[in-house]
Amino acid sequence: MLFNSLPFLIFLPSVVLIYFALPFRWRWILLLLASYFFYGFWKVEYLGLILLSTTVDFFAAQYISRSENQLYKKLGLAISLITNLGLLAFFKYSGWFLNDVLYPISIINQEQLEGFRTFWDYALPVGISFYTFQTIGYTIDVYYNRTKPETNIFKFALFVSFFPQLVAGPIERFSHLQRQLFAEHRFSYKLIQHGGRLILYGLFIKMCIADNLSPIVDQIFDQQDEASPLQLFAGMILFGIQIYSDFHGYSLIAIGTARLFGIELMDNFNAPYTATSIREFWSKWHISLSTWFRDYLFIPIGGSKVSTIKLAVNILIVFLISGLWHGANWTFVVWGAIHGFAYLLERWFISRNTSAWLKIPQWFVTMSITFLAWIFFRSQSVTDASTYILGMFRSESNGIEIEWNTTIISFLGVFLLSDLAFKDRGFNSWINDKSSAKRWAVYAFLIFSITGFAGTTNHPFIYFQF
Amino acid sequence: MMKLVVKILAFGIILFALNQIYKRTLFIDFVDDHADQYLQVDKIKNCDIIYISASSNFPPEHIEENDPRKISQFVADYFPQLQFEAINKPASHAGVYRQLLPLFPEESEAKTFIITMNLRSFGPSWINSDLETALNESNVFYNERPVLFNRLLMSLNAYDNKSAEERNAIVQAHWNDDILPFEIPKNTVNNWCAVEKWGDWKNPKRQLADQFIKQYAFVIDEENQRVKDFDEICIIAKKRGFKVIYNLLAENIETADSLVGKNLTSLIKQNSEWLVNRYTSKGFIVVNNLEVLRASNFTDKDFPTEHYDEKGRKTIAKNIANTLKSIEL
Repeated sequence: MLFNSLPFLIFLPSVVLIYFALPFRWRWILLLLASYFFYGFWKVEYLGLILLSTTVDFFAAQYISRSENQLYKKLGLAISLITNLGLLAFFKYSGWFLNDVLYPISIINQEQLEGFRTFWDYALPVGISFYTFQTIGYTIDVYYNRTKPETNIFKFALFVSFFPQLVAGPIERFSHLQRQLFAEHRFSYKLIQHGGRLILYGLFIKMCIADNLSPIVDQIFDQQDEASPLQLFAGMILFGIQIYSDFHGYSLIAIGTARLFGIELMDNFNAPYTATSIREFWSKWHISLSTWFRDYLFIPIGGSKVSTIKLAVNILIVFLISGLWHGANWTFVVWGAIHGFAYLLERWFISRNTSAWLKIPQWFVTMSITFLAWIFFRSQSVTDASTYILGMFRSESNGIEIEWNTTIISFLGVFLLSDLAFKDRGFNSWINDKSSAKRWAVYAFLIFSITGFAGTTNHPFIYFQF
Repeated sequence: MMKLVVKILAFGIILFALNQIYKRTLFIDFVDDHADQYLQVDKIKNCDIIYISASSNFPPEHIEENDPRKISQFVADYFPQLQFEAINKPASHAGVYRQLLPLFPEESEAKTFIITMNLRSFGPSWINSDLETALNESNVFYNERPVLFNRLLMSLNAYDNKSAEERNAIVQAHWNDDILPFEIPKNTVNNWCAVEKWGDWKNPKRQLADQFIKQYAFVIDEENQRVKDFDEICIIAKKRGFKVIYNLLAENIETADSLVGKNLTSLIKQNSEWLVNRYTSKGFIVVNNLEVLRASNFTDKDFPTEHYDEKGRKTIAKNIANTLKSIEL
């Protein structure tokens, strides 16, 4: 079920109403049922995988917790990792392996490849990268005694499947989410107000910004051979804004939805395009994933308390895997590599305590690297991305006909300014400072924009494919 | 509690005001781009006779003609004393028409409607055509809901918006599974197409023959979606006191016969008779143009369509005019 769909707009208020009408002890059961309904709404078959992941991780964590022998603990952890990473490898990467490895060396033929593609197109479950990472985090936490395992498999199932953040995060930690899921939350106007505001603002940036930019970006990337250098530059910047507004919008709706039930999810974005370094960018972009990689990959492989060479290798490993996490394509690996190398160069050669006037060129360089890397993220292949970049510097061509409209340009202005205004404090905190009249004017603006100016085609959230 | 009630009321008032602002400012341009028939209805609501059709009304673009006017204009020639207008939308069908009729306000003077009944539109190929998604998008506006709400529903894709691949899969399933009243190998569309009457696939005659089978080899019954749509039109017409005349369009029977044979043409005639009987028994007039044209009157030669040359359009117009003359307008 998409957040920006009619079924969800009916489903969510219904679940909220029933949730608060039910006695406290039944509420988590409702959330579990609602979460499975939400996920099964895409395809009932998807539920099989999430049940598998849930069952294996539940028992693996139990096993790890009860074992006193370190070897057995490692065995439990290995079972969990192999199951989850195996699911990811099978559904996300085996198609790539067949296409880029087995097919070129003729181990499989074209017909078999097409057959596999048809299967994977049908079977790739939505959000598998998110919930598998969430459960991997849980078993690692149990392994390191950072958390006690859940003893009720159904309660654990709710942690894995909690619908607001199931398909595209934020990737939550067990210790943060579990106690909230089972705490008694009282209905209050404030819950509805705060959650509703985030949902409204999230829908605005998804439907008015991302969905209106989508056809323009698609057109420029699809017709990159005919587009003028200026249009290619515009395409790069607009895609950067599109993916941000798309994913940030999703995250806000997810956080707002959870807030309706009294549950606080972690923030996923904090004005990332104001960053003046790649390091800062990653502290503001997809925060739940970058902190996951920090805690469950970077630190376990040595973190920063190692030699310079080992540190460089560790950082590159994290960025390359982070790229690969997004999908089975070399473009994502290159995207991760660009960020990884930029991060290293910055760490080695640029002092963090620079004077204020240097911030502007640093911001410019950071954004140039970030937006250039988005070209790889958006392109179908590394060759396409390279052609795109070369096209940005070729001699002028006639360009393509693009339907610009003043509305979307105005919205872009509103969005970028509001991003600056909400930096470090969020939308709720910002609007709480305003008078009642101003707050209602903002609500009216958002409602009018969503209902009157949203993109005419409803695009699934970009991160749902990851 | 009182505070909450006040806020809900305020919210309702804001929504109402926003809807009014949108309706009076941006809506017309938007609906003109996305659901133009909505505006057409408003423009012609006081005409005497309204002709509703898809592309069959139009002259061909690729042929020069002495009188390149529409069927509806030729019909209007017979009734100079009456105001005659048309609503056209390529690829549209009864599923769209039934949504347009209620848009005519109670006080409008339009009471007589000529609605095209295209036999091909009853087949699974058209019912599940990938053009349906765009038509369904427009359909969101053809109702009496607040316009801002309709605009939101459109953005949320709150209509049947299956992808071209999904629709194609449905069509393929029909061609594969729907049983036709013939012996093997003509018992399904796919089996029938596999009969190599015209040699291999590269032969244009074979390709065209296949298209005729795919477009016309089906059996109409009460469960057919288009039949339900026309039934709904009958109900609306009776309720609103509209005179509705169904214009069963001419099909290229000659070519169907020469390329595929009597099995197909008999099926076409059987289906059209079923339609004529059904709607005449409901008290409606059906102008039966099914066989009034020759192959030469059809302007598309590589696909079965209802696009006619000048002579063909005039012939159909004359038939409609003769029927109209026989009823009290």
